[in-house]
Amino acid sequence: MTLSGYEALFFWIFALAAIFAALLTVMARNAVHSALFLISSLVSVAALFVLAGAEFIAGVQILVYVGGVMVLFLFVIMLVNVGAEEKGREQIFNKQRQVTASLIFCFLLVAGVLYAVNKGYQGLNVLHPPREASVAAPTDQSGPPTATGTSTMTKDTERVGGSLYRYASLPFEIASVLLLVAIIGSVMLARTLKQEVSADDIDPETLQEEIARDPELAKLEPQSE
Amino acid sequence: MNMLNSFIPALAFLFQQGDVSRLELMRNSAVNPDLSKFLVIGALLFIIGVAGVLTRRNIIVIFMSIELILNAANLNFVAFSRYLQETGSMNALAGQIFTVFVIVVAAAEAAIGLGIVIALYRNKETIWVDEIDLLKW
Repeated sequence: MTLSGYEALFFWIFALAAIFAALLTVMARNAVHSALFLISSLVSVAALFVLAGAEFIAGVQILVYVGGVMVLFLFVIMLVNVGAEEKGREQIFNKQRQVTASLIFCFLLVAGVLYAVNKGYQGLNVLHPPREASVAAPTDQSGPPTATGTSTMTKDTERVGGSLYRYASLPFEIASVLLLVAIIGSVMLARTLKQEVSADDIDPETLQEEIARDPELAKLEPQSE
Repeated sequence: MNMLNSFIPALAFLFQQGDVSRLELMRNSAVNPDLSKFLVIGALLFIIGVAGVLTRRNIIVIFMSIELILNAANLNFVAFSRYLQETGSMNALAGQIFTVFVIVVAAAEAAIGLGIVIALYRNKETIWVDEIDLLKW
């Protein structure tokens, strides 16, 4: 696979945008700024997905990550916002010694990963020698024309959907069970004490202690006949 | 500063063995980015995510760094999927299908993790991970 022309230009633009936005995500003082930089990083990576010919994944990335997960993150940041960090009173990083140790570790990881990519890529080139550009790639198969008639539609979504149901239908069903477990789990985890008492889902000894602290809770307890 | 002083000769050593043909090769591969460039971008995103997990104190930013790590893995899957499509491999789309499942697991992980964060904040009144050091309180 080789990108050329404008594809190469946009590849570098979006790659740099993704890396800088990721750096700012880690460095930003305010958690809301972190979330917004993470959104721009995810959008840039979605653009890289489009350049790699995975239009369906790019759409899923925008819809699920940016539209769902990041909105959830922003909600939680608003719920637990402490407010001291953006005024500069709190330390946002760990202690100096821990940061130094982890940065040295990351530097070693960078060196190791880049070395591995370099070596492995040379081996890969021996295994599959790069082809001439004249060989048409399967992604270039043109689909039906779009409404404006200036381009053709991609067949990527059709192919991904087909092979998702053909080769991965059992994992697909398991993923739906996983999502159900996640929904129920997060509802159970995020309950307040009052909700736990009124659902009668609390340890009796703990309940007595909490009632001693806050007598209002006794009214919420469901009465057994 | 001390570290920097020993770093610069190392850089000079790295660059002195690159002769003209090697520079030309690097320029060509930058003008025509291939699979290895995608892998390098993915590796850099992964390492920035690891650095965020290791250095930040805010538990929500740590979660966001985990999302960065998963996203870097997705980038590698998609790049290899494209590469295998051009070598004519039979199951070239496996990378894209795996990416869909990674995104599903990431969404479930975010929902559970943020539920834990809310429960933790309700009990401990803090989101700094270095103040949350007891398994039971």
